[in-house]
Amino acid sequence: MSTHDVPRTSGHRTEEQQRQELEKIKKYRELEEQFYSQTSSSSFEYTPALFQLTIKLLKLNPEYFTVWNVRRHLLISSLSPKSSSGPSRSTGCSSSSSSGTTTALSGASSQSRSAETLPSPESRTAGRDGQNGTTREGEGSKSKEADKKNAAAAENDANAIQSELAFIFPLLKDYPKCYWIWNYRRWILELAIKYLPVTTARRVWEEELGLDSMMLTRDRRNYHAWAYRRYLVAKLESTELGGKSMVEEEFGYTTRMTSADLSNFSAWHNRSKLIPRLLDERGASDFERRAFFDEELGRVKEALNVGPEDQSLWFYHQYLMSSITDYVGRATIVPNLDLEERVTYVTTEIEEIEELLEDFKDVKWIYEALLEYTLSLQQLEERELDAAEKERLGLWLGKLRELDPLRNGRWDDVEVDCKL
Amino acid sequence: MSGSKEDNKLKQLPDELQLATAAHIKYVQSLDTRVTELSYWMTEHLRLNGLYWGLVALHLLGHPEALPRDETIKFVLSCQKDSGGFAPAPNHHAHMLYTVSAVQILAMVDGFDELEKHGKGNGKATVAKYMADLQNRETGTFAGDEWGEEDTRFLYGALNALSLLGLLDLVDVDKAVDHVVACTNFDGGYGATPGAESHAAQIWTCVAALAIAGRDDLIDKEKLARWLSERQVANGGFNGRPEKTADVCYSWFVLASLEIIGKRHWIDGDALVKFILSAQDPEKGGISDRPGDMVDVWHTCFGIAGLSVLAYPGLEAVDPRYCMPKSTIERILGE
Repeated sequence: MSTHDVPRTSGHRTEEQQRQELEKIKKYRELEEQFYSQTSSSSFEYTPALFQLTIKLLKLNPEYFTVWNVRRHLLISSLSPKSSSGPSRSTGCSSSSSSGTTTALSGASSQSRSAETLPSPESRTAGRDGQNGTTREGEGSKSKEADKKNAAAAENDANAIQSELAFIFPLLKDYPKCYWIWNYRRWILELAIKYLPVTTARRVWEEELGLDSMMLTRDRRNYHAWAYRRYLVAKLESTELGGKSMVEEEFGYTTRMTSADLSNFSAWHNRSKLIPRLLDERGASDFERRAFFDEELGRVKEALNVGPEDQSLWFYHQYLMSSITDYVGRATIVPNLDLEERVTYVTTEIEEIEELLEDFKDVKWIYEALLEYTLSLQQLEERELDAAEKERLGLWLGKLRELDPLRNGRWDDVEVDCKL
Repeated sequence: MSGSKEDNKLKQLPDELQLATAAHIKYVQSLDTRVTELSYWMTEHLRLNGLYWGLVALHLLGHPEALPRDETIKFVLSCQKDSGGFAPAPNHHAHMLYTVSAVQILAMVDGFDELEKHGKGNGKATVAKYMADLQNRETGTFAGDEWGEEDTRFLYGALNALSLLGLLDLVDVDKAVDHVVACTNFDGGYGATPGAESHAAQIWTCVAALAIAGRDDLIDKEKLARWLSERQVANGGFNGRPEKTADVCYSWFVLASLEIIGKRHWIDGDALVKFILSAQDPEKGGISDRPGDMVDVWHTCFGIAGLSVLAYPGLEAVDPRYCMPKSTIERILGE
């Protein structure tokens, strides 16, 4: 219903193609029918067949969120019972809060727990009692047996969680923009915290960060993968996983990502979010903050000298300069500059940006930046525009109208605002 | 863009750049008959959204009756679960995304009375409770369903639908507003969660949510409009983030956001009209993401809605906060 990048075709299908499509529809609908016949009542039970069915359907259609939801119930049912293993919210539209399901699911789970030591849920077969005998034969002390059971249960849980992550990874690679897969993956990771010893859970989360880096190598701008990264890092830093701050590593990651691709606005954005924390955690002095700021500004200007058409760089430049011009009540890089220092910064920027014009006469971003920082300077000094500034603004606006006529309405507004 | 000057300009466009109204109506009407296509079955999880998108297109094209009202209401109500929430189709599970579509559809066909009479539980109140219970009372944001994923899309959806039901007081609007503000970025835009990159679609949900809450004073309009206006690229279309390709759906997300903050004139409307129309299939109807691609009802809806913001001749006016006809919003909110 929402297609992207699919070329328009005549829509004509040969008889053979129609026959094949009808065949596919028939198979798909049969799977759906089986699925709903086993899950429509609120007390569906874990069966290996149902688990397999969800795999088949999700491979065909990873957007099928209802199937993902059922799979969540099934996965929980294969783990050791916990006090609250249902949905995180008890608004209860779904089956988990209904007594029927709870009984059925916990029944399935206790059965599987006693039965297996445990392969992945996928490979589980109906022969559940195969190993029961061996457990019972070892009639040692009761606590020993309980320990054994616990260890087996823990291993079972770890296997189930890891094999589930492994199962969906190929789907994620094929459908890297599918919300439901990412959501489901987050949910499994939360299960890891709930069910696994903290060291094991931490390892699962750390591996996930590696996977995310891989996804970002495949698509440097993937919105989901960046969101996922921030989510993973926040959790890896938390006490829940025995973590500590990763702000230096993550800042380093954005350095590498922006060095590899200056146009990666997602990486610049993430950098802008990390900087205030980075400086706080470093306990940076005013002097160090200023040195940091100068280095960062130098870095972006060096890039602009080569590629002034790159709007990602200009947006980041704007972010840095907002520390100077727009600093009241915000987390900024250099909070303690006095007015004179701020004015000097802005004046220098204007001069240096103007120098870009010598090599790049027809890049609209340069004129836009000149316009913006000239107005910032005037606001900073709380004064009217002088005649020389007005003249220059008029010239730049003229160039903007010529180079960027799509936004003429905006240039009109600037002209009115500046009373040119 | 207004009045006769615009009409004249558009009359000069070649035939293939005239809005193919009749074809688009037929296209939307055909959507529920495509049972011999695999994609019809594979998109069942979007059915109720699809009905909403199709209905918006038809209303804006001036043919609200092109889908039968009774069947529409019957189908919507058949998707409701005992919790009050709606699923995309009868067998599926409920989720905020479909509950919002259900309320919007019922609003457009003036069907709240039927919801009161034939809906689960106490009609409107039960639907509203389903959504209100999904609010995170600590942070103000909303989950999509009981599994807990949070996103500003769900927050927006809740404010949209609850305001239409007249039951916004069931949720903590101030907290929701605080959460949107926490999603603001240095470029003036908003992301899906605090810390997330600005994205045109998320921006629209945040800006529209603030507008519905009556708190658009919290938007840094100059900064946001600058970022949004830069979404227009050389071919006239809009992208959703810097350095991405243009896509018809952003005609809506960017333009409606600019309209809400009073800066629609910061982009070139004529160039956008041409881009949208060049992505339509003038014979079989429907609009695609960009010229030459397969059409779908999502892009058809947002393409036509974009044209409506630009006062394209012959189209009904759209409300930029709700993506529904202004006449519907006026009838319900009495604005």
